[in-house]
Amino acid sequence: MDCAQFEGIVHEIDRPGTEGFAFREAALAHAESCSRCARLMTQVESLDLGLRAFASHEAERQAPAHVGNELMEEFRRTKAAASRRRFRSQVVALATAAAVLLALGVSLRHRLMTGPSPAPARDLAGNHPSPAAPAGSAEPATTAARPDSEDSLTADNLASESADATAFVPLPYADDPSAADGGAVVRVVLSRPALASLGLPVTDMGATDRIPADIIVSEDGAPQAIRLVSQSSLDD
Amino acid sequence: MRAVDNDGKMTQVTDQTDARLLRRIMAGDEEAFAHVYRQKHPAIYRFALHMSGNAAVAEDVTQEVFMALIREPGRFDPAKGTLGGFLFGIARNHLRKRWERDRRLVPFTGDSEEMDDLISSSAASRNGNGHGPVASARDEFSSLETIGRVRQAISTLPGNYREVVVLCELEEMSYEEAASALGCPVGTVRSRLHRARAILVEKLCESRAARHAPAVDE
Repeated sequence: MDCAQFEGIVHEIDRPGTEGFAFREAALAHAESCSRCARLMTQVESLDLGLRAFASHEAERQAPAHVGNELMEEFRRTKAAASRRRFRSQVVALATAAAVLLALGVSLRHRLMTGPSPAPARDLAGNHPSPAAPAGSAEPATTAARPDSEDSLTADNLASESADATAFVPLPYADDPSAADGGAVVRVVLSRPALASLGLPVTDMGATDRIPADIIVSEDGAPQAIRLVSQSSLDD
Repeated sequence: MRAVDNDGKMTQVTDQTDARLLRRIMAGDEEAFAHVYRQKHPAIYRFALHMSGNAAVAEDVTQEVFMALIREPGRFDPAKGTLGGFLFGIARNHLRKRWERDRRLVPFTGDSEEMDDLISSSAASRNGNGHGPVASARDEFSSLETIGRVRQAISTLPGNYREVVVLCELEEMSYEEAASALGCPVGTVRSRLHRARAILVEKLCESRAARHAPAVDE
């Protein structure tokens, strides 16, 4: 070992697991033969003693008790706040579930009281499904009847309007053929492009035009078939 | 593993890994938090004290470190290092923010009042164990003088050297633990410590030489 190597490891010859510790014996042997490195080793040992004395002197230092007490208080406050948040979210979830159940109950009761609707006049055969259309483009008309209200369209008034309306066309994604017999009819107002995307024969495409239409909705609320209604019948 | 709480009561703590303790803290277990605080806060406090040189700052930093643990325990990832390293990292960030905010911090040099307290408490214990009062007092004073010089030398080190000295020498961390706490490679810790110790040797030699130089009366 030469002096440069000695200087490279002298600060860690007493630190287990280090390169200096691995070459400790060689370093000590070198210090015995080199007065300059022996002096450096003495200085390093003196530093180690000083650091150990300082560390030992400081070892009992710790934060005052009030710091720990305040932290414990904060921990309890945070825990209580978290419990309150959990409780609130559980209440909200329960309230939402209750509201949904109530709505379903009311809807079912209404259906039982009004009885099943006869099948609307329609022509489900011979129409070709077109690419899926966005159901969200439907805009309920302000004058349209709601299926669960007193103004729901029944077979009778549908029949009376049949002269002013086209036949029902099944929607491309209709998955409940029986809904055509028992489903509710909702009147909506749709744009021409939206109607065309549903496979209806719409000419003179004006994006801003609004066309009234009837949609058969199954029990789960999914639209099943659609027909156009003339503007005049809506005005009446 | 055994731990002694502040009341001196011995509590048995079995196989409390950092991750398990953190899970218990996240579940609101007060005892787990108290255990982590008792175990970790002295080192954090001393680190902040040696780095800031100010006991009030050290208290604040210690409080902020454990506040962070209370509010966001999920930030600790056991895969990235130890809980101790994570807490030292937070302490270091807070100290840096403080340095940026307030550059008027002065190095911790201790005070004469503290030295007097130490000497009198040492004298009291000396009288109890029968050592010769004069020789012991001389040794004690010499030891306190050495401590004072080491403290002074450490406080004048550049920050990145001082933190490796505090962690590796005073807190007896391994290079790996210090590297995890400082967020740097082990090689960086090793080289910084080597350089810091070389500076300390120089400073202590200078201070010893100044002490032994004959006083010149005009």
